[in-house]
Amino acid sequence: MTSLIILLRKVNDRVAIGVGLVLLACVAFTLIEIIARRLGGSLGGVDEISGYVMAVTTSWGVSYALTEQAHVRIDLLHARLVPAGRALMDALAMLCLAGTAMMIAWRGWGVLAKTLSTGARANTPLETPLWIPQSLWWAGWAWFAISAILLSLFVIYKIVRGRYESVERVAGARAEV
Amino acid sequence: MIPFTAFGLLGMLALSIPVGVVLCMLAFGIDVFFSPFPLMRGLGQVVWSSSNSATLIAIPLFVLLGEILVRSGVANRTYAALDKWVSWLPGGLIHANIATSTMFSATSGSSVATAATVATVAMPQARELGYSEKLFSGAIAAGGTLGIMIPPSINLIVYGFLTESSIPQLFLAGLLPGLLLAGLFMLVTAVLCVIWPSLGGPQRHATWAKRLASLVDLIPIFGLFAAIVGSIYAGWATPTEAATVGVAIALAIAAHQKALSRQMIADALRGAVKTSAMIMLVVIGAYVLNFVLTAGGVSRALQNMLNGLGFGPMATLLVIVLMYIVLGFFIETLSLMVATIPIVVPIIVHMGYDKIWFGILMIILVEMALITPPVGLNLYVVQSARRGRPFADVMLGCIPYVTAMLLMVALLILAPQIALYLPSTQ
Repeated sequence: MTSLIILLRKVNDRVAIGVGLVLLACVAFTLIEIIARRLGGSLGGVDEISGYVMAVTTSWGVSYALTEQAHVRIDLLHARLVPAGRALMDALAMLCLAGTAMMIAWRGWGVLAKTLSTGARANTPLETPLWIPQSLWWAGWAWFAISAILLSLFVIYKIVRGRYESVERVAGARAEV
Repeated sequence: MIPFTAFGLLGMLALSIPVGVVLCMLAFGIDVFFSPFPLMRGLGQVVWSSSNSATLIAIPLFVLLGEILVRSGVANRTYAALDKWVSWLPGGLIHANIATSTMFSATSGSSVATAATVATVAMPQARELGYSEKLFSGAIAAGGTLGIMIPPSINLIVYGFLTESSIPQLFLAGLLPGLLLAGLFMLVTAVLCVIWPSLGGPQRHATWAKRLASLVDLIPIFGLFAAIVGSIYAGWATPTEAATVGVAIALAIAAHQKALSRQMIADALRGAVKTSAMIMLVVIGAYVLNFVLTAGGVSRALQNMLNGLGFGPMATLLVIVLMYIVLGFFIETLSLMVATIPIVVPIIVHMGYDKIWFGILMIILVEMALITPPVGLNLYVVQSARRGRPFADVMLGCIPYVTAMLLMVALLILAPQIALYLPSTQ
């Protein structure tokens, strides 16, 4: 069970680097566009592509932030409880997160499914087939839901066995730094 | 419906459920219990269209810029240079703390990373030179908060996005109040240290030759700031494009400092993805809640309720300011902003106040939240750089700066032009 969580962390770490590199590529692309514009030309479509990059950065980044315990929580009460109470609060937080993630993934699928069935294209000069950015985007949320479900199962398993400190290590509230 | 929203929000936050999730669940709840038609069918579309945004990509870019900058090692030199320029004032090095955190957080997107960096650079000096640590550490914590007001500011991007106001205008509006507040911080420090010299430490005098020589070390940060803010002010670049240029300059600075390595870039990318995903989950939550509140008529119900109370615009404004001060003790900056924007801003606009101006006012109020205990992130960040000393020092050291912020709030209410003058010249 623990090795599964370690694997999850490792995968999300790679995801973060991958997303970061896409972000850097977007920086390079935008720089070229700025220079081209000064010279009177234009590549076009930079805004549109940065929008897609942002959607994908967000949907895949949230899983990394999840395994790094970076999602902001108000730990005013949390910090004052005994370990068992803290672990229960962590479990509640994780379950709510998993539920929300599933809801977003489910409703997000609706958006992608509609695009797939109508073959919708972006209303821009690039006429991007929307299924390309949207499937990348949706896959990120689906992975977020899977990560959250795995973490929830782990947390419940550890609580049942009374291992509160491992709950804290995986799902505890951490200050955002 | 209004009590449900308010108690649901505070209750779920107190249970330490992640803030972004709380906002989404609140939206689901309002939809299930109060809305005549199922709004959540639109959830996927709302999430897609809120994150598919060439405006919001400025957030990860500014965070990345800050992550590169704090790893570039430029902080040491900046601090040393500013020390030569401002430490002759009563209070000595404390002024260098304020100036460095101001400049650093002005260029980087994250005030937390900034406070951490400046604290690591400055705290050893405090011990070496025999400063009292109270005011010294308070100045770092408070100075770091200026980063969310002086452009570029991630919080202002989020505000602009959620309230549909112009981000360049918000950036310009934040500039003068930010500098004024930095000036107030220095004034408060100097006055306190003249009255009670034991609060500070030795004043230090550098020769003009040394001062001028140190200017070279200020070029990177000033250059970066000028490139970002200048290009936005001149209308050459959108905030996103300015952020792109900023990232390139930060990389160049890091290369010049010989700090560039694969490991360093990987760490900067991790930090940027983590922080911006954390921000985005909260922003998406607020966007979903915003959508439901508007479609479900909560905003209107709230306005009717307020109108029924018969408060005038000024009384309403003061009640809102008081609410932020109280909530700020318990809730962190971004969460506080994002959770209240959907509810408060429509009321403020309805009362005839300017959206841009209120954005700046809100920023000062949430800056205060960063340094008011028990929940005040910058307090903990500074404390973590000085392990083993009483935490109360940092808290007490912040009190003068909180007072300066309250004064700034009053100034901004009495003279809105402080914020609105620069945008009007564009």
